[in-house]
Amino acid sequence: MNVNLTEIHRSFGKNKAVDGVSLELGTGVFGLLGPNGAGKTSLLRILATVLPPSSGEMALLGRDPRASAARREIRRRLGYLPQNLGYYPSFTVVEFIEYFALLKEMPVPAVPRAVAAAVERVDLGPKAKAKLRTLSGGMLRRVGIAQAIVNNPDLLLLDEPTAGLDPEQRVQFRSLLRGLGESSTVLVSTHLVEDVGAACSEVALMSAGKIVFRGTPDELTVRGEGHSVGDAPLERGYSAVLAEARS
Amino acid sequence: MTAAGVLGPPTAPAGTTSRTPPGARLAWLHLRTRRVPAAIIAIAACAGLLRAALYWHWTFAAGPYAQQVPMIIEAGAAAVVAMTAHSPFGEAERATGRCLPYLRLGTAAGMCALAIGLLQLGVIGEGLNGGLPVLARNVIGITGLGLLCSLITGGLLAWTLPMGYMVFAQYALLEAWTSPWAWPVRPPADRGAWICACLSLAVGLLLFAVRGPRTELSDNG
Amino acid sequence: MTTVSLPLAGPARALRLELKRSAVPFLLPLLAAVFYYNTVRTADGFPAVWTLRASVIGDHMLFEFSAFAGGLGAWAGSREGRRKTADLVTTTARAAWARLSIALAGTLAWLLLAFGSGVAVLYVKTALQATWGGPPVWPVLVGAAGVTVVTVIGFTCGVLFPGRFTAPLVAVVTLFLYQVGFHAVLGIDPVPGIHGLGSGTYGLLSPAGPPPNPDAGVYYRIAPDLSVVRVMFLAGIAVALFGMLGLAPGVRRLASPRSRGSVRAFLAHGGSWPLRGAALVLIAGGLAAAVTAFSLAGTARLDPVGGWEIPALHAAASDRPLPVAEDCTSVATLRVCVDQAFSDDLSDVADALKPVAGEIAGLPGAPAKAAEVASMDGGQQVMSGTAGNPPVFEFTAEHVGPIFGDFNAPADDPAQWRAPFQTGLLDAFVAGLAPGSGQHAGPAVPPAGLAAQQAVVNALLTAAGTAPSEIGGNELLPGQPSAATWAAIGAATRRFLALPASARRAWLATHLTALRAGTITLAQVP
Repeated sequence: MNVNLTEIHRSFGKNKAVDGVSLELGTGVFGLLGPNGAGKTSLLRILATVLPPSSGEMALLGRDPRASAARREIRRRLGYLPQNLGYYPSFTVVEFIEYFALLKEMPVPAVPRAVAAAVERVDLGPKAKAKLRTLSGGMLRRVGIAQAIVNNPDLLLLDEPTAGLDPEQRVQFRSLLRGLGESSTVLVSTHLVEDVGAACSEVALMSAGKIVFRGTPDELTVRGEGHSVGDAPLERGYSAVLAEARS
Repeated sequence: MTAAGVLGPPTAPAGTTSRTPPGARLAWLHLRTRRVPAAIIAIAACAGLLRAALYWHWTFAAGPYAQQVPMIIEAGAAAVVAMTAHSPFGEAERATGRCLPYLRLGTAAGMCALAIGLLQLGVIGEGLNGGLPVLARNVIGITGLGLLCSLITGGLLAWTLPMGYMVFAQYALLEAWTSPWAWPVRPPADRGAWICACLSLAVGLLLFAVRGPRTELSDNG
Repeated sequence: MTTVSLPLAGPARALRLELKRSAVPFLLPLLAAVFYYNTVRTADGFPAVWTLRASVIGDHMLFEFSAFAGGLGAWAGSREGRRKTADLVTTTARAAWARLSIALAGTLAWLLLAFGSGVAVLYVKTALQATWGGPPVWPVLVGAAGVTVVTVIGFTCGVLFPGRFTAPLVAVVTLFLYQVGFHAVLGIDPVPGIHGLGSGTYGLLSPAGPPPNPDAGVYYRIAPDLSVVRVMFLAGIAVALFGMLGLAPGVRRLASPRSRGSVRAFLAHGGSWPLRGAALVLIAGGLAAAVTAFSLAGTARLDPVGGWEIPALHAAASDRPLPVAEDCTSVATLRVCVDQAFSDDLSDVADALKPVAGEIAGLPGAPAKAAEVASMDGGQQVMSGTAGNPPVFEFTAEHVGPIFGDFNAPADDPAQWRAPFQTGLLDAFVAGLAPGSGQHAGPAVPPAGLAAQQAVVNALLTAAGTAPSEIGGNELLPGQPSAATWAAIGAATRRFLALPASARRAWLATHLTALRAGTITLAQVP
């Protein structure tokens, strides 16, 4: 298991952002759904070792991230795309990805090829030398994905990765996810249930800091049978589970 | 039932009405986006530093070099005013209505006046060489330069030209230059110096109000 | 497949990115303009003596660089806060300290490159004009240390306080500290003791100060003691702040309202223990160096040649005088010599002395030689005078008297430049002044006798073509003479001047001894 969380809590003042989450994830693509404020981003930030949990036990890639040496090793094998991607507008696409490859302590001889591969995988080859400030929002998002995958991470955390991507790019991205999931743990936090349905082998649904559903997309669909809220089966399942959790 | 009842404005939800006039509300929000409260604190810190310099005699009491230290602090205050030019919104704000130029103008002019007031408050009871006229002229002229600088470098780097001009003025002080463009070194009643300083502010205010700060360079660093 | 070529290796690649995308190059034109107006023009006004020209590095260049270095350092340090990349870069493996160091190095490299270029311009111009000596290194080291520490201060402030106003506030505070130190050096308004520390010590540690004597480093080496402690002080602060960067992520967490100031948050985000240990070692070492330098500066004392020596660092070898080589020329009956460092000024000095030498040539006590000597001796300014047999008129690079050097820039009017030389020679000849340290050494003369001497000097000056001013022509008279005295002196001057030159010379030949003894009154001047 690449991710092993046991009773993870994280509070911000009185707000319990993550409230007793236990999760085990192995290789594959996992979706994380939930309404705004459910705690998805906080959970992702905990897994990205940006935010320490208030309590609970966790092991990432077989290591306890509380120790700095272990944390460093985890980060070498981690890819993270935050919800709000900060960037340096004067950098070019290649420079930005290269910068993060170097920060991730990738073997230096491998950096050029890895950067080139990442740029190609997100289909930004023609824009490799373009400055980030000249790119559209969707292209910037793809740059963010590229920096997350440049080191072929064993644990890939993506927060709203398809925001701003057009339908064709989203299809390509799902294909990318499936490929990555064959050898890594990929956790995708998103509002778009169709992305989850198309790319994820398992999905978890969060509400008010807790995981209220864990299963396959088909199992989520089944939960929505007979429920009227939602335009697609997966949406109805999503709504049904949330309604049940809130009642 | 008439169309007026249907077409009339909807009733505002409970708890969302405000007694603040919309113009004042807009101005306050604009000031917050320009970090004016933090700027006031920064200028107050400059005033405190100036007071400390005069109280503990860290500056020449009189003579041609008495302006050296006050000039540094006045330029710093002017630079802070110029940096309130930076907008965090970029193009989105420029695509709005007609209020923005007036808001920019009011903010910059108001902050300039406030900076003069705060610095003058800081030196009450102490002997500032040249007094209020020289202090005001320095802040006015250097603020104008900072606003002009923001048109080229953007708001976040608008401090560079004020600092550069201040260094230039320090040299002019040592050399006792008489050019009115070296207004920090001229006597309080020098008309040419006042014209140059006021011209700097007027041009800076006008161009800044109309065009706004450049969004490249300072936003791209 | 897109191919990208990256010829460099390791952190050098990241540094290359920082150098390529730094904001500093955009501001170099403004810095160059300020450098020209402030530093270059000041240096051009100094004689082409290496130590004098190099003094502008600490006095002027560091000031203008500080104005930008602190702000640009803060700009670079606040980048992660401004661009909201903190989370993103935190998830990478490279230690925050390493990452911040690369960003700092990128900014500092540009600033040091600009600083080095400026020094190169100064030194090349001087090399093309100087007639003696070589480029001093210590001013450059002190300047580089100053630029470095200001940049590190700004960068650290930017990391800890990534607000938009950090840059100008850092610039203001560093320039303010620079000027306060300058005033403490001048001692015009002494800085009161702060927390019991010596008032003058901070001023000594500041690289800024008045320009040295024009002949500093010409007759005696300038002891490097003060430069050593300055570098130690500035470098110590820079190292300590650099160490603080190693703890910066933890410090930021400590200060974050969400962490409730918990030590646990600090420990969780401060990096690995070896790195923290290294950071603490650097902080401790830097502070120790700075405190040691401060203490050493407190023991500084003036040396006999106008510099500073620090006993714990002083090498006796630096007190030995340098070999003197003169450059000479002859005008009328006077041989004029200057130190070879001032060879460019020889013809001007000779031209200045020629007319007055002609007025007194052949008279008893008229000097056969005018020679430049060191301006400081035994810790005192050397005053001009005539001594020896045959008599030699000794003058200094300070223009023959306690004039405040070239601080106010030399006069554009050649007459103003000539007058002190001519006045000094005539004063020494007429009043019989011998060279001395701190004050003229001459016979005690009553005021009436001094007035007569002054009248004769003024007349000879006028005859030589120089109008005596009240300031330049009253070195013989104590205090401020009354208007009546000036009127009487003026009348005697006009009478003596109205005589034919041969009559003046004849009178002087017979009355010089009495004039020097002070027994000739104004009424007795023909």
